[in-house]
This record gives sequence, C-alpha cells and structure tokens, in this order.
Amino acid sequence: MTDDAVRISPLRRFRLGGASAQLSLLVIVVALWVVFSIKSSGFLSSFNLFALGRSLAVDVVIGFSQMVVLATGGMNLAVGSIGVCAVMFGGTLMQTMGLPVPIAFALAILLGGALGWLNGFAIVRTGVSSFVITLASANLYSGAMLILTRAVPLNQLPPEVGAFGRLRIAGIVSPFLVIAAVLGVALFVLYRYSVLGRYFLAAGANPRAAAMSGVPVQRAVVTSHILSGVLAAVAGLMVVARVGAAMPAVGGEDWLLPSFLGPVVGGTLLSGGVVSVFGSFLGAGLVTTIRSGLLVMGIGNFWLQLFLGLVLLGAVLIERYRAVRIERRPFPPR
Amino acid sequence: MTAMRRALNVEWAGLAAAALIGAAVLSLLSANFLTEFNIYVMLRSASVGLLVAYAQMICLGVGQMNLAVGALGGLVAVLFGGMLEVFHFPIALAVLAAVAIGVLGGLTNGLLTVRTGINGFIITLATASAFTGINFGMTKAVPFYKMPPDLVAFGDQHIGAFPYLLAAPLVLAALLALFLFRMVPGRRLLAVGGNSHAAALSGISPGGMIVLAHAISGALAAVAAVLAVAQLGSAQPLIGGDWLLMSFAAPIIGGTALGGGDVSIVGTGFAVLVIALIQNGMVVAKVDPYWVQFLLGALVLAAVGLNRWRAVRMRGR
Amino acid sequence: MDLAIDSVGKTFPSVRALDDVSFAIKGGEIHALMGENGAGKSTLIKIITGLHRPDSGRLLLDGRPIDFASPRDALAAGIGAVHQERNLVPRFSVGENILLEHPPTRYGLIDAPEIERRARPFLDMLDAKIDVRAEVGTLSVAQMQIVEIAKALSLDTRILLLDEPTASVTDHEAAALFVVLRRLRDRGVAIVFVSHKLEEVFAIADRVTVLRDGKVAGRGEPIGSLTRGRLVSLMIGRDERVAAIGERRIDFSRIELELKSVDTSFGHRDVSFALHRGEILGLYGLVGAGRSELAHAILGMGAIEGGELLVRGAPVKIRDMHEALEKFRIGYVSEDRKEEGLILSHSVRTNIAVTIWRRIAGALGLIAPRAETAAVMPLIERLAVRASSLDQAVRTLSGGNQQKVSIAKWLAAATDILIIDEPTVGIDIKTKVQLHELIAEITREGISVLLISSDMAEMITLADRILVMHGFRIVGAVDNDHNYDTTSKAIMTRIHSVDMAE
Repeated sequence: MTDDAVRISPLRRFRLGGASAQLSLLVIVVALWVVFSIKSSGFLSSFNLFALGRSLAVDVVIGFSQMVVLATGGMNLAVGSIGVCAVMFGGTLMQTMGLPVPIAFALAILLGGALGWLNGFAIVRTGVSSFVITLASANLYSGAMLILTRAVPLNQLPPEVGAFGRLRIAGIVSPFLVIAAVLGVALFVLYRYSVLGRYFLAAGANPRAAAMSGVPVQRAVVTSHILSGVLAAVAGLMVVARVGAAMPAVGGEDWLLPSFLGPVVGGTLLSGGVVSVFGSFLGAGLVTTIRSGLLVMGIGNFWLQLFLGLVLLGAVLIERYRAVRIERRPFPPR
Repeated sequence: MTAMRRALNVEWAGLAAAALIGAAVLSLLSANFLTEFNIYVMLRSASVGLLVAYAQMICLGVGQMNLAVGALGGLVAVLFGGMLEVFHFPIALAVLAAVAIGVLGGLTNGLLTVRTGINGFIITLATASAFTGINFGMTKAVPFYKMPPDLVAFGDQHIGAFPYLLAAPLVLAALLALFLFRMVPGRRLLAVGGNSHAAALSGISPGGMIVLAHAISGALAAVAAVLAVAQLGSAQPLIGGDWLLMSFAAPIIGGTALGGGDVSIVGTGFAVLVIALIQNGMVVAKVDPYWVQFLLGALVLAAVGLNRWRAVRMRGR
Repeated sequence: MDLAIDSVGKTFPSVRALDDVSFAIKGGEIHALMGENGAGKSTLIKIITGLHRPDSGRLLLDGRPIDFASPRDALAAGIGAVHQERNLVPRFSVGENILLEHPPTRYGLIDAPEIERRARPFLDMLDAKIDVRAEVGTLSVAQMQIVEIAKALSLDTRILLLDEPTASVTDHEAAALFVVLRRLRDRGVAIVFVSHKLEEVFAIADRVTVLRDGKVAGRGEPIGSLTRGRLVSLMIGRDERVAAIGERRIDFSRIELELKSVDTSFGHRDVSFALHRGEILGLYGLVGAGRSELAHAILGMGAIEGGELLVRGAPVKIRDMHEALEKFRIGYVSEDRKEEGLILSHSVRTNIAVTIWRRIAGALGLIAPRAETAAVMPLIERLAVRASSLDQAVRTLSGGNQQKVSIAKWLAAATDILIIDEPTVGIDIKTKVQLHELIAEITREGISVLLISSDMAEMITLADRILVMHGFRIVGAVDNDHNYDTTSKAIMTRIHSVDMAE
C-alpha cells in the first residue's frame, strides 16, 4: 500500500472558481450603486439607504427560505403561504388575543416551522416530489388562512411593532438588516462547519449515495423544510413590522419569484448540493438595488419585473458560460 | 392502439365520478345549482381554465415546466385589448394577432431553453417576470375598458347552458388529442417527453420538439387570454395573475405525469371541471369562497395519492 | 456485412483508451468482445456506433472506409446497438417504438393497424411472444431488450452490438436471448456481444476478441481453440492466480452477524449463515442470484419477513443505513460506485468523512476543518489514493481511486462488520491487488467481512468460507482451500445441481 508516493496536499485549497461568481455579482452591485448615486443624489440619502436596507433584509430572508430547501435538492412553493400564515397568526395573537409582542412573534415563527414540518413530512412519507407537495400545501395553507381570518387585515397592532420597523441604527441601518445578516452568518456556519449542513448538502447532491453512507436523508429533508418555514415566518414578521399591520395580501405568489431569484443568481444550484449564502445575499441585493434604482431614475416600478427577469436570465447565462469554460479546461495531470 | 385503449382507461374515471358526485351533492345543497343559468356560468368560467391547463399540459408532455403561462396570458390580453381599443383592429384580426404574439412568446421560451441549455424552470421563471414587466410597464396597471360590443356579446352568448366561449376549448382539446395521439409531430413531442435519448436516436430532435411544445403552449395561453377578455368585457393587466398554480394543478389532478411523455386530455378536462364545480358550488351553496383554494390543494394531494396507490398496486401484479 | 476495425486509436486528455486496435467482425458470426473494465471496450463501442471518432485508424464496412459523424450515421450504415440503458419510449406501444422513426400514416394520421402489421414481422423473426400493442413500460427488462433488437432489425441492421445484455435479466431470460441471437446469426447478421462473463461467452460466441489496456490481446480467436484459462490470461495478462494473503485468525467464539432462516421481501427464503469475528465470508453467485438484495435486506432497505437477524448475538431490526452504521456498526461498500458509493460532485474529503462527521463534531455539532483533515489523511495514505488535493471532486478521479475513496469512508467509520459488494469491478489489476491485501488486513484488525463477488478468483483468494447463492437461496457452503480448481468446481457444482434439479 505504500509503494506510491502520496502527493496529496492536506491544505484546504481556496476555491477561487466558486467564489468568483459571487465576486462578479458584488462588482455588478457596487457598479450599479455608483451609477444610481450619480444619477440621483437621493439614492444615497439616509432615508433611502435605510429603506433599501429594510427591503433588502426581507428579500434576503425570503431567499434564504428557498435556499435551504434548494440545498437538499427540493423546492418550496409554499414560502409565501407560510409567510402569510405566520403574519396573520402573529397579528391575531397580538391584536385579538392581546399577547405580548415577543410571545406572539415567537409563536408565529413556531407556526412557520410547524407548517414547514408538515411539508417535509408529507414529502418523505409519500415520496412525492416537493414541487407537487408544496404546490398543494401552498393552496392548503393560504386557503386555510383565508377561511380562518376572512381576509380581514389587522391594523390595530401594538405600537411597538411598527416602531421596531421604523427603528434606525446609526441613522441608516435597519435592525432588519442586522437580523438578516445574523441569519446569514448562522447559515454560513451551518453549511460550512456543521454536521447538519453537510448532511443537507450530501442529501441534495446525491440522496441515494448519501443514504448509503449513513446520512439520515429523510430527517435532513424534513429539517430543511422546517428551517424554510421558520425563515418564511421571519420574513413575514419583518413585513408586519415594516407596514405596522398584519395583511393577508402579504406573501403568497408574490414571494415566489424573489425566493428563487436571489439564490439562483447568487450561485445556489436548482438541483441541490451547492449553496452560496453570500451569493443569495448578493442576489437579493442586486434585486433590491435595481428596484430602488428604477424608482430613483424615474422609470417607475411598473417595468421592474422586466428588469428582474432579464437579470435572472443574464445571471444564469453567465454561470452557464463559465461552467462550460471550466469543463473545457484540460484535465489536471496526475 | 394505445390511444384507443387510453380512451377507455380507468385513470380518469375516478375524476369523472368525482365530478358527478360533486354535482349531485351540490344540486342537493342548493336548488340554484342545476339551473341552466348556473351551469352556463360554471362552464363559462371553465372555458378559460381548460385552455390554461392544456397550455401547461403540453409542456409537461415534452418534459418541461412552463412558469410563464399566466404572465404570457396577461401580456397577450393587454396587447389584444390595446389593438382593439387603441388601434381599432377588427376582432378577427386582433385575435389572430394575439395568437401570433402568444406563439412568439412561446417560441422565446422554447428557444431560450434549448439554445442555452438552462433548465426550463428558470428560463420560464425569468420570462414570466419579463412578460409581466412589459405588461405592467406598458399599461401602468390600467385596463382597457372599451372592448367592442361584439366581443363582449360573444363572451355572454349561449345556447341553453352551453356558452359560446366553451366552443373554443372543446375544439382545441379535440385538435390537441388528434395532434398528440394520431399525428406524427405530436407523437414525436410525446416521444421526447417519454425518453428524449431514444427519440434523438430515431431522428427526432428533442430541441425542436421542446420549441414546438412551447409554441403551442403560447398559442393556447393566448386563446385563453382572448377568452378571458371576452368574459370580463375588459382587457385587464391582472389577467393570468392567478393562472400559474391552476395550470399545474389541473393536469396533475388529471393524471399528467410531471416527468413527461404521459398526458391525459380527458383527465385534465375533468380536473378543470371538478375545480369549476368547486368554485361555482361554493358560491351557490353559500359556502365561504375561501374554501376554494383550500380544496384545490387537497385535490392535488388526493390525486397524487391516488396515482401512487394505483402505481403501487400495478407493480405488485 | 463485414466490419473491419483497422488500427483504430483514441486518446483522451490523460488516457490512451485505444492503441492500434485491429480485428474483423464478419456476418453470420457471434463475435464476443471481452476485456476488463478500462480495457477500452466501451470506447470502442462508442466509435463503432458513431458516438466518437477515432483519432487514428479507420473503420471499413465491406472494405469501404466509413466515417460516422453521429450515431444516426452508424444506424443508417446498418450498425445497430442495444445498450445497457433502455432506449424505448415507455408510454408508446411496442409497435410504435419499433417504427418510431417512420410511423406509417394515412391521410396525415398515424395508421395504427398498419403499425401492427409492419412491426409484427420483426418480432416474429425473433420468435418473440410479445404483444405488439403492449405498452413498453409494462414489459420486463428482457422483453424490452427483445423489442430493441426488433427495432434494430426494422432499421435493416446488419451488425448488431449488444452491451452486457444479460446484466439485469434472469438466467432463463438470458437463455431465451441466446436463442434469438443464434437465429439472427443464422440469418447472416454479424453480432458483437460485449460481456465480461466467461460462462456466457463460451455458451454463445463463435469468436472472441480480447482487449487489454487499450490493445488487442486476442484477435478473433475461434471459441473452440480457447480454454477458460487462456481466455482469462488474455484478459489479465497472467494466469488466473490465486494470491496468497498471509496468515489470518478467525475468532470462532464470537459471531458478529447471523441470519437464521431469514425470508425477505425480495424473495429470499430460509437464508442462514454466521459471520465470525475476523472472518471473510464470501457470498458467491451469478447475476440475479439475489446477493446484493440480501445485503440490502440486512441493512433495512427491504423487509425481513421471516426468521431472525442477529448482531453480536442479539436479535435486531435494522431500519436504515443510518441505524446500521450508528447503532450496529455495520458498513456497506456498494457495488454501484458512481450512483451509490460516492457523491461524485463532492470532494474527496467530504466523501471520506461523511461517515464520521458526527464523531468528529465538537460542541453545537460544528466541525473543525483541521479535525476533518486529520481524520481523513491517514486513510488517504493507507489506501494510497492519488488525488491532487483533498478538495478535488471525486468525479475526476480514476475508477480505482474512486473505489478507494468509497472504501475509505467505511474504514474511517471503523465499523465492526463490513459488507463489501463487488469491490473490484472495473478496477485495474494493480489496485485490485491492493484492495485484496487491504481486505485481508482489516480482518486482522478485527473487522468481519461479508464479501459479495461474482469474480471467482477474487472469492477464492480472499474468502475463508464461501456461501453459494442461487435463485435467492443459499444452495451450498464451501470451505475454501484456496485451490482454484477444486473450490471453483465445488461452487459451480452447487449452482448447477440446483439448475438440473429444477
């Protein structure tokens, strides 16, 4: 066994190849900021930065909610539904039942996790694809929410809720952004350094091989859906704080595109097994920047979707081009 | 021939039964249900749904998912409205133009998917966004209200309980069945969905079939949009906004395989009918309309569960 | 129709797949193409069927040089193939699949009765009792292969290539397939039969060509002139030698794994055996015997319906691989390296450490990269895995190194029992020997091994006792005296006596 000299370097190679996608994304976002701030002085105003940060945070967390399920090779079409359920549940707890805000929020997040658990459980129990299950559950959850709340918005929430939404740190930073950043760091640590994170990625890359290697794949899938539900709930509650009310119009199909956009643009694979937390952050950042920039340039919100679609197309095309180029590189000599 | 046998297949019999039972129950719950007027209302609203479902179904048949069905529909709807209100096109010309636009949109989806090699899910997610953007960008969310009276009348007219609107989807469904089960290009389309490698070896171009499927899908979505405008009496930018989930639900409930190569026109049709029954029934029986969405989700689960159970039983044979 | 392979060569970035390969395939013959994996068989097949172009040399069809730009060109030239993956549309009928390229039409519509009329003769030619209207998805694997052969015939195939056609069929179906092939041969079709199974080649082939390391080792030898030993020596370049693996001691007082009259949901009946500590217990059988399925049943991927499964003396029910590993310290080296044994897109590091993440994790379930590296490096060294770094994607490793990684993760897990399923399929000789020595070594350290293999020489080299499985039952147990002739005979007798009794 020792006849060949072993030429393996035990040092961890810095994966420049993967990181360059996020790097180019960062460059684009920064470039856009430069362009927009030149076009309009209002872009860099403290209010705009604050609003941007708040909006970004919500999009980031929505993206995270989808990302954690993409990681394990599935998808969650119920992100918006879980979000709105958490919103209305939390609102009802606060307004109708008078529960203190932290408890209501905590319970709403728990609901998100529970709804996510239901999804995951159904998926592993029935073996049906996550697409179909979450398609069905999206309707079930939204429908149930509408039936129970009669679609009545709740705008008599405790004033602390709205106040939190208006809070500013250092004049420009919203606590939402801090929350999103903390979640981002936690997710980064999860996927890079924790057992569970590796289980997620193994299950997403090749569930069969992962299972054969002793990875508890089913448990990982269910956990990823619980996590997704929790994150969706957090995003929903952020919107509640921003708006100062619990509205049944929140979430739903509106969240579908952003939930995929950020992660996919940022380098998370649709097929699973590869995630980029930082990329998802940047992807959401790109979306928010464009949205704000359009506003600032007077192009108006109506054309936003077109730009978003083009951004998504552009991002995947670039990624494709790079992947092809990498594959064309000569096989490394042994 | 497989098609003949499938016509007599048990697969959608369950749905047909569900439709009958549902209708029976609803007629008991409310005297208003079985009136000619009510059936007319139901069939009218199913007309659009049928085309939306078929638009998705044909993409599923070739093994693709089309997230842009609703967005394209919305765009075609406002362009159609614009042609009528602003440019005073004759209706027939506007309809033709609308279908052409639908085909163009579908071709965009298909060609992008094939040429870039990127997953159709992502491509149509992007184009859906783009179409919606163009839609709202042009209209600023303002509908076209001045539709030609002939069109609006067509949307209202009926023979007994049969709305004129329903003729389009029925004819198109029959043509679709003919195309997919008895014509060479249609068989090729399903062959690609069933096993694209085998199809390629037999000289069928998978890329070509994907583009074809998307083009037909776009045309069907366009007709759906035209019907929606006729039904509403105005061209609303929001048309198509709620088509997406429906477009998947009906084919899935109707037994169309998500993986490709296995479609059921009759099954999808019955699924749309059942959904229309639920929607209509809720109103007539004075049940909370919010139950519709809930039941839709439950139906999808039930259909999938049934298919699984049936597959397991078949394997055991 | 004759096909001449003339000095064909093909080189990929770091591998010379084919080197000056020449031999002739003649009509009216069944020509077996044999060789270890990595010998160049699959590259040659791809060139013959038009998927690749040769870098040097040429193909001559009836003396004329030909150049295929695509598989369709090859088909048009009369070369058809039945590959290992099915090339049929599941929801279409047999007839429609056969006539997929040119379905007959009437007034623009598909003419179903005409499909039946035109397709049936091709099935009749093969004397196949398959309904031409049946949906292909409802057929068995063997039947689907027959449909593919019928399809090849309909395209006027004069040279038919079959790639491991008996890989997933029963013996009975294989025999039926051979009848079909002989009938085709008698009609003048040239048949290229790619296989690694010696018994089959002796049963069906007229001539044999053997590839070894990209070169021709035996050129169109008439089967009558070959002995088994000679054929094997052509394939591996030396006589079938049973390696000596040195002294080992088995602790017969400790039974690690035991099955008592076990029935499984896969169809096993009354399977009983005991695996002692430090033992290498072989489970030999032909394809379809049910060996891997037994392993799967033990590991929870199937139900144990009768009898008892005992681990270290205690009756257990194993739910899944996770439980098998964490609770019962049982590992499984899968025979399907690429789909089950490895996560190809992930790194060497990940693939080896996957079984021990839980163990090396610290507080909060976090893993220090240094700990992971420290756990993985010793195995890299012990198995001599050649890779440029721990972060190299396993997909880019050679077959032998991939298999080493696949095994390394179980060594990392330090299981007490290791079920090894076909460890050296498609592996080069040198690595094969290394792996054999490794298996012997780990049993000296106290690991008990259940070795599943259809490689007779490997089995006789390694096993202490050999269980013979056939038709999902244990039909015999042979003590291994490490003598190839006597032991292999004893094993084959057990299998054949069952056949003859049936």
